[in-house]
Amino acid sequence: MTAMQDPAEPVVVFRNVSKRFGSTAAVDAMSFTVAAGETLSLLGPSGCGKTTTLRLVAGFEQPDAGTIEIAGQAMTGRRPYERNVGLLFQHYALFPHMTVAENIGYGLKHRRWPKAEVGDRIAEMLRLVRLEGFDARKPNQLSGGQQQRVALARVLATKPKLVLLDEPLSALDAKLREELGLELKQILSTVGSTTIVVTHDQDEAMSLADRIIVMNRGRIEQLGTPGEIYAQPRTEFVASFIGRTNWFSGSGGTRLVNGVCRLMTDNGTALNVKTIDIPPAGGWRVCVRPERIAIMPPHTATTDPDVNVLTGEVVSIVNMGAQLHFVCRTSEGRITIIQPNRQGSHSKTGEAVSLQFGADDCVLLAPDAQ
Amino acid sequence: MSGRLIDDAMWLAGLILIGTILCFLLTPIAVTVVMAFDSRAYLGPLPPPSLSLRWFQQFFSDDYFLRGLSTSLKLATLAVAISTAVGLATAFVVERAEFAGKQLLISLFLSPLLVPPVVTGFALLLFLSHLGLINGFARLLCGHIIITVPYTIRATLTGLGGIDRALTEAALSLGANEQAAFWDITLPLARTSIISGAIFAFAVSMDDVAVSIMLTDATTYTLPVALISSMRANFDLSIAAASVMLMLVTLGLIVALEKSVGLNKAIGQGVFRS
Repeated sequence: MTAMQDPAEPVVVFRNVSKRFGSTAAVDAMSFTVAAGETLSLLGPSGCGKTTTLRLVAGFEQPDAGTIEIAGQAMTGRRPYERNVGLLFQHYALFPHMTVAENIGYGLKHRRWPKAEVGDRIAEMLRLVRLEGFDARKPNQLSGGQQQRVALARVLATKPKLVLLDEPLSALDAKLREELGLELKQILSTVGSTTIVVTHDQDEAMSLADRIIVMNRGRIEQLGTPGEIYAQPRTEFVASFIGRTNWFSGSGGTRLVNGVCRLMTDNGTALNVKTIDIPPAGGWRVCVRPERIAIMPPHTATTDPDVNVLTGEVVSIVNMGAQLHFVCRTSEGRITIIQPNRQGSHSKTGEAVSLQFGADDCVLLAPDAQ
Repeated sequence: MSGRLIDDAMWLAGLILIGTILCFLLTPIAVTVVMAFDSRAYLGPLPPPSLSLRWFQQFFSDDYFLRGLSTSLKLATLAVAISTAVGLATAFVVERAEFAGKQLLISLFLSPLLVPPVVTGFALLLFLSHLGLINGFARLLCGHIIITVPYTIRATLTGLGGIDRALTEAALSLGANEQAAFWDITLPLARTSIISGAIFAFAVSMDDVAVSIMLTDATTYTLPVALISSMRANFDLSIAAASVMLMLVTLGLIVALEKSVGLNKAIGQGVFRS
């Protein structure tokens, strides 16, 4: 194992990796890389293959095809304990019969750290996760958040080349999740670790990751930064899995100037969509995020010819605290709008309104094959 | 109103039934305990006029009983040690491996619970004589391993089943190999289940008559077998004294079990697993 690693060299390389269980392909020809110091998230619904991918990296499963490299070395045939990969389990998997210090020292013992350094390293890790003085506690004497920090200290103690996090925040309640999410991100960047986070929770992925792989049916749907994944989803699946979406569908359309297409929906509304793509011949789907739609008094005039205007009526309003969620009935069906909960008056239920959104708020997609 | 009356009557009937069962269970034992301390030299009517320890003295001065007691203790200790090791090894492999017919195999291991002990004893007697094994102690040991192994396997399986697989995987990902993970993680966490299985096995071995009676020879016999034979020959109250001591041993084991795991858990785990 080389001590000095070229920062340009990816820490993890997946080349056409496949894993089948019976007749289903849990992971189907996946290829991606993780750069040194980067946090990559595998995001997808349950059964999408993200957990299998994680287990392939950790060595609990062997791929049926393709190769996995970690830190420049092929992992084929290597047992979990022959790889320097740390895994933070969803429910922490702390050893219940060992103290906090014994838990953290377990990896050091088996990775053959010099005995004289083990005590110092345990103390250092406890400082890192702000649990000084907890050495002699048993895991059942700790809160959920403390257990998670001990588990993280145990993972990081041996300085693994790669850290895997399996749904790291999902076992915590909402408030703690936010707090520990920030702390987790900070600790990981302090030690500069290369990390893969597996999660079904988009907030977890968005908040922790530099890049996200959205997975579905064992395949990569899209790889990109959190911003790209949200603002420019490339498939219908990604758009509907991440965040809320309003959908318009139809077929055909004409190209105008300025990269704007005028599309006709199935319900007969003209829609201006900014795109460099040609609307797919077989039909199209347009995704508009709820916070991109403005609610205006009826018959509000616009000067911009590219702005889309829908008239409708407010059906319901839900106050979510920081935001207001409106549902309006229009000729295109029900449209959801999310607005910040600012001071002053807003439209009331039953009022007629004009909904406006720009051509560049629309994302043109081909319908997913079923 | 009548519905309530029926409910109340059912409650009353239930209480009476429980009381009757308790009397039925406890009265003979109470009688035995009292008789064991009878000071009379003959079997007289209840209650005894005065109490003494003469039957206990007689038991401990009788070589026949002492020999049986010593064989029983040696046998139980050795049989439990072997069947605990066998149970652990078997349960560990069965728990880890995934194969067709796994449940069938587990049932097979537990089948000595279902086969009548007399049949087990007789079959073993025939089989071992064919093999030429005629040493009494060796034969008894074989028999006692067979009847105790279901308890140790079952208890160990339950213990192993309760250990989150993620704990072993965590140990592996931290650099421990399979063997180290077994000694560091699996064994310590399954320990209480293994101990409760061993205590059950010990009690079963100490109390067994049906299998032992088939496999004893003239010089090697267990205490329960000795008690039965001597009862046929000359009925005296040293048997009551021996019964009291057997009860005390069992009681001691139950207390040990209660202290280490909790009796309900141990009995619940003993045979069936939900």
